[in-house]
Amino acid sequence: MCGRCLEISRRSLLVGGGVAAAALSTGVAQARVLPRDMVPLVGPGYRPTEKDEKGIWQLMDRAEEEISGSNLLIEDPKLTGYLRDLIGTVGGPAAKDFRIYLAHVPDFNAMMFPTGFAVVFSGLLLRMRNEAQLAGVIAHEAGHFLRRHQIRSWRDQKRKTDILAFASMLAGVGGAAGGVYLGDYVQLAQLGTLLTLFSYSRAMEAEADAMGIKLIAEAGYDPRQMPTVWQQLIGEEAASARYRRKRRQKGSLFDTHPSPDSRLADLRLSAAEVTVPGKLYNDYRARYLGVLGPFRQTLLEDQVKLNDPGASQYLINTLAQDGWNGLLRFYEGEIWRLRNRPGDEERAAQSYAAAVLYADAPADAYRWHGIQLLKAGRTGEAKAAFARYLTMKPNAPDAAWVRQMVS
Amino acid sequence: MRKRGLALALAALAPLSACVEMKQYADVQFTPPQGDYKLLVLRPDVTVSSLTTGGMPEPRADWTEQAVTNVINAVRAQQGQHGGKVTILAHRNELPGVTAQEVADMERLNFAVAQSIVLHKYLGEYLPTKRGKGLDWTLGEDAVRLGQKTGYDYALFMHAEDEVASRGRVMLGVLGAAGCFVGFCAPNVGGATDLDYASLVDLKTGEVVWFNVVLARSEVPGIDFSDLRTPTGAAQMVDRLLGRMKPGQDVGKGRVMTGDQGEKR
Repeated sequence: MCGRCLEISRRSLLVGGGVAAAALSTGVAQARVLPRDMVPLVGPGYRPTEKDEKGIWQLMDRAEEEISGSNLLIEDPKLTGYLRDLIGTVGGPAAKDFRIYLAHVPDFNAMMFPTGFAVVFSGLLLRMRNEAQLAGVIAHEAGHFLRRHQIRSWRDQKRKTDILAFASMLAGVGGAAGGVYLGDYVQLAQLGTLLTLFSYSRAMEAEADAMGIKLIAEAGYDPRQMPTVWQQLIGEEAASARYRRKRRQKGSLFDTHPSPDSRLADLRLSAAEVTVPGKLYNDYRARYLGVLGPFRQTLLEDQVKLNDPGASQYLINTLAQDGWNGLLRFYEGEIWRLRNRPGDEERAAQSYAAAVLYADAPADAYRWHGIQLLKAGRTGEAKAAFARYLTMKPNAPDAAWVRQMVS
Repeated sequence: MRKRGLALALAALAPLSACVEMKQYADVQFTPPQGDYKLLVLRPDVTVSSLTTGGMPEPRADWTEQAVTNVINAVRAQQGQHGGKVTILAHRNELPGVTAQEVADMERLNFAVAQSIVLHKYLGEYLPTKRGKGLDWTLGEDAVRLGQKTGYDYALFMHAEDEVASRGRVMLGVLGAAGCFVGFCAPNVGGATDLDYASLVDLKTGEVVWFNVVLARSEVPGIDFSDLRTPTGAAQMVDRLLGRMKPGQDVGKGRVMTGDQGEKR
């Protein structure tokens, strides 16, 4: 009788212990991954050899076939060539194997697929202030591939869910045989498994950050630009939340990525670590703007139309830290105009007026400046602005209407 | 004694816990193609995965390749009985005069339309504007152009995903069945699942004239049917999916469905 008691309590201890162990290894705060520990796990021309990875590669090859032919892609050869060169510079041993696609999505995101192709959202390009920042994000993605994260996390998930499925069934069957109910333990074990899966995912993100910062520093990019990316993201999220009268979401146990705050802190330490005294680091801002130049207006247009004035305003102010120009002033005006709160129209009018002082002001800046002048009763100046608009954009959809106003 | 009991318990559960559901819809004027017609079968979209012990489908490259070959052969054999001329594309670049990109665009368009059909015909989001109209979806001008360019009368799109229970998953089911003897009975953890759908598009009008979904599922791991890795299983699947094509009846009696109405066996 008692022998059986002991057996049951040992069994419950085992399940309970598993939960405790799972809980211990979780927790939002994780030790920083050191860049010097990050050694690439794949060499050039890597191909999978095991059946689980082969299966994933086959599926991903089909995904790439679809993505590479998607009409969401921006296929400007100069821009895509630039991204390809960039991943070729910071891609470590697999540099020549990577493919990179630019999707027209106004969001801060980039992702690496298990077979070594990356998708970068156009919203990312808007937010990057120089090439070093973009190289940091791309090197982070390359880090996922170099450290074989997808297959490692797949195997981790598979192992944990397998164990959980068997342990739950054993607890049920064993519990029934022993006459005890172990359902509560099973639920705890489920939660424990779930939490370790998320924490595993965060650990991989931390690895990719450490790998990425090491790669960009080796390529001569200023490693301090990488934490700055997170600082900018934190600021943007906070501004967006403040505008919506909400609090910015902080990290939780169910996050797949470490919170931007902890990534910022870790990357700052890592940046200092990978910096070699006396070596020259650059952010290659001019080169970045040279390539991005013609696209910046489209990207700003996309952002402003997201109807997230808090984030848009923060972004424009961040970009303006490198100097105001006509484009930024015009879109600042657009944010006010579209927000349309009391006083916003005057603010917009001021921005448009400021925009047209710069040589790079877009045609639409003159159009809206003209409309504001007209409203203020300054007809002569308005006509001059409209005339300028028509010279810049003679085939504008509203050209006939504007022409009538001028005459 | 116990062993035989277990076998009996499993055998008793098997017919209860394996089921095949199918439901087809057709355009009101639709009659299944017969005689002298030209059918283009787009590259069948087939995936075979292994269902892990924990219940995650793990894609398998070798099984998928086997299954694609088997499915293509089975479609060829099945369509041969109807007397039409059939071309089956194994790759997107095999259609003379049509680029791989155009074929891909057609497949993606069909995918979007198929999603919409599934949402509004199968998942309960019925549209009042489509009531009494049979199957009222079209791939539009692009499909008509494809027909004019190639001379085909119909295009058939096929999708199949097959999950095969792994050894661990089968063991889990066995353990669950063994539990039946001690009062914790959980043999139906879920095993093989086979989800297939197909749509037939009339390339003269661009309209989707027939659509069918087959879901074959066994609750008890270890019991399998229409295993696409074998020629027999693939033939069985193709027969279920395409073999019972029915004409669209005159709708107007308030019933939208035509053909098999959720036939179960």
